Amino acid sequence: MKRTFVMAGALALAALTMPAKADKLDDIIASGTLRCAVVLDFPPMGFRDENNQPVGFDVDYCRDLAKALGVEAEIVETTFPERIPALMSGRVDVAVASTSDTLERAKTVGFTIPYYAFENAVVANEKSGIESWEDMKGKTIGATAGTYEAIWIEGRLKEWGAGEFRPYQNQADVFLALSQGQIDATVSTVEVAEANVKSGKFPGIRIVDKAPMVPDYVGLITLREEYGLINYMNLFINQQVRTGRYQELYRKWVGDGEPADLTVKGVYR
Amino acid sequence: MFNYTFRWNQALKSLPQMLEGALVTMEIAILSMVIGIAIAIVLTLFRLSPLRPLRAVAAVWVEIARNTPALFQIYMVHFGLGSFGIHLTPYLSLLIGIAYNNAGYLTENFRGALTAIPETQTRAARSLGMTSLQAFRHVVMPQMLRIAFLPMTNQMVWAILMTSLGAVVAMNSDLYGVANDLNARTFRTFEIFAIAAVIFYLITKTITISARLLAARLFRY
Repeated sequence: MKRTFVMAGALALAALTMPAKADKLDDIIASGTLRCAVVLDFPPMGFRDENNQPVGFDVDYCRDLAKALGVEAEIVETTFPERIPALMSGRVDVAVASTSDTLERAKTVGFTIPYYAFENAVVANEKSGIESWEDMKGKTIGATAGTYEAIWIEGRLKEWGAGEFRPYQNQADVFLALSQGQIDATVSTVEVAEANVKSGKFPGIRIVDKAPMVPDYVGLITLREEYGLINYMNLFINQQVRTGRYQELYRKWVGDGEPADLTVKGVYR
Repeated sequence: MFNYTFRWNQALKSLPQMLEGALVTMEIAILSMVIGIAIAIVLTLFRLSPLRPLRAVAAVWVEIARNTPALFQIYMVHFGLGSFGIHLTPYLSLLIGIAYNNAGYLTENFRGALTAIPETQTRAARSLGMTSLQAFRHVVMPQMLRIAFLPMTNQMVWAILMTSLGAVVAMNSDLYGVANDLNARTFRTFEIFAIAAVIFYLITKTITISARLLAARLFRY
């Protein structure tokens, strides 16, 4: 009896004196701010409105997550290649940045279940004579460096053994080069392609075909070992779909129609 | 807080690819220096010329090359000329951009070197019956290049480092381009850029040391 009392006392003392082993989820809630890395050069997922404020699907998604956690959202703009250094150096807590969940990358960062899935389209300069995705063989093809579609098309060009690949630093440069005729075609997500063709900023381009790749599933990312946070975000994504918020955001930023199915048939997760 | 486990063995597998990139980087830097020096000599002559339009060309070139970011110059070669329908490959855009920058800076180097050469030498050469071009070619220029040699190696180092700006014109075969591509694929940012930085350092250090050795041999009085 006396022994248990002493042990309980020792435990209580330990709990008071030892630094609490808090994980990222605790840290975020304690700090009252969720810092999200968002790529703001990727409409309609992330971009800036006419008042230079960050808006888009990913921005709203971050705000929803912050709201669920009961904290404020802070949007930190990053480029695609900067997402990982931002996470590793602790500048952001998560990246809500349309990150494709490849196995190679999962060796370094922790992915949630997919929160969105992209279809990719082939956008060509009207003068290039490209009518289908196979016509890209032997042409000069550009894409945004570091994206899933860039890695895909570079692989195809290598396979074909003909054509040149040009990775531009951001989406706007790709479409500028395409509009100028420096490149013959690009592969980009249907959402981005439609937004750019519609914007009228890039004359002489049109969507000619779908790119025949596996849907580009994207997840939220955080540090690999933050299971608590990953777990929470998995449930959050599930709830976004369940409550209809996923569809609502799709209608708001992408357009009418159904958002992509986030499940893969025949396998768990 | 730095939450990262380095995996050097994995990253070092991409070393051969990066060394290939380093060769492209050196090739561009050397070519851009050769072109830059040639243009800078011409611009220096323009500056000395009694003809105003020639002096103006040299002045505008030097002003733009020295007072705008190299990034802007390279970007303009690619997208600026591109809007006029002149389409250059990333390789050429980068090479021309760096050569343009080199020419501007080297012209200033040469001007500095020129002021160190007494004007009486030109007069002496002219009084021996040389034309002013001959005097420049045989008397002034050899001394000018000698004085400007070490500052020129500075520019060479700068040219090596400037190749990393090729990313803005979709250059992907140089050292930085290769590193960037590997980073996108694997997310091993810190290992890959650390290796790239070490290679950059080794290249530039080799250049400065060999230039100093070369200068000691070439320019013995």
